[in-house]
Amino acid sequence: MSNIRDIKNRIDSVRNTRQITNAMKMVAASKLRKAQDRIVNARPYADYLEFMIRSVKYKNPDTEHPMLTENQDKNAKRLLVVMTSDRGLCGSFNSNIIRSTKVYLEKHPDTDVICIGRKGYEQISKLTSSIIDKYFNLFNEMNFNDIKDITKGVLNLYLNNGYARVDVIYNEFKSAIQQNIIEKQILPIIPPESPAISQVDYLYEPDENTVIEELGTKYIDVEIWRMMLESSAAEQGARMTAMDNATENATELIDSLTLLHNRARQAAITTEIIEIASGAEAINE
Amino acid sequence: MSLHLKIIQPYRTVAELECDHVIIPGIDGDIGVSTGHTPLLTKIRPGPLVVFQKDTKINYAIHDGFVSIEKDKIRIVCEIIECGDEIDQKRAEEAKKRAEERLKDTESDIDFRRAESSLRRAVARLQSIAD
Repeated sequence: MSNIRDIKNRIDSVRNTRQITNAMKMVAASKLRKAQDRIVNARPYADYLEFMIRSVKYKNPDTEHPMLTENQDKNAKRLLVVMTSDRGLCGSFNSNIIRSTKVYLEKHPDTDVICIGRKGYEQISKLTSSIIDKYFNLFNEMNFNDIKDITKGVLNLYLNNGYARVDVIYNEFKSAIQQNIIEKQILPIIPPESPAISQVDYLYEPDENTVIEELGTKYIDVEIWRMMLESSAAEQGARMTAMDNATENATELIDSLTLLHNRARQAAITTEIIEIASGAEAINE
Repeated sequence: MSLHLKIIQPYRTVAELECDHVIIPGIDGDIGVSTGHTPLLTKIRPGPLVVFQKDTKINYAIHDGFVSIEKDKIRIVCEIIECGDEIDQKRAEEAKKRAEERLKDTESDIDFRRAESSLRRAVARLQSIAD
């Protein structure tokens, strides 16, 4: 008898879990839609800045501004920004990033790390002792001003501490079920190749270097902003898929447990009937 | 012939319109732009941005950013911009007063800079609704 009750309890608890995972799936789906909208809305600004920085670099191929020129010191340190999520339950979203980070750190041991997202920090702090900064809880609100703090920090470090380059590892949003790990250099700035270049000779006001610095800063701002948006969309997508799988698994488990429950119930009834029948027969004899 | 103006923020396009004349608060002074202006790239200082269309005039308060002028196309990228009718005069005046007081008695460098920039913003707002 107690066996039947045990199975019943299991079914109830799995059903509760399924309810939670299902709700989380719905929440992730709606957050994903919002994140996708944000990516679309950020596009004109990012495209324009990209176009401008490309044009300026094209016009000034031998500028000596450190944001646009490579550091010649081959032994200089690197700076790595790792973007993960603050929360778990999103499948392999974070573990993939951490694996790539590990590979990167093995290849370039002389690297300082900045962590965005609590989950990454927890794991990466075990891999290396050179985490120099960390940012948590940015993905809830997604505020451009918060991102600017990160950029300011990164730029200060790059310009004053002589890093050779700054790379970012993040999840790119491909579709709700697919995320790509991207490793991208953000400093010094290498504008993406494209034929769209302004051929016009601009007048710079107040002067060329100020304009490059301002444009470069804004470009880095928007690059990191775009990566954060991608990462947050990818996170929600990953969570949605993970929770969808969990819900499906829970349904399967409930089905097989129900089968087990019914079998046990039937067995109990059969035993009872046999007991009654044999009892009646014993009296008749 | 008219000018094509586009104002872009990180999360939205604020305005995209045709106009006859624009006054932009450049870092080295106000720039009046009509058709056929020299190609120009400049930083923007906090101040009023005025857009003239045929009979109407649109006021904005712009707080930072960047402008490029090329072939009658004006592109403004900025993080903060407000349209004239979004501005609350009383609040701006209070902010200005607060910032001025803070400028008088500050010790730390950061506070000074913050107060200064908030004063600039308040002044920009007030200027853009002055007329």
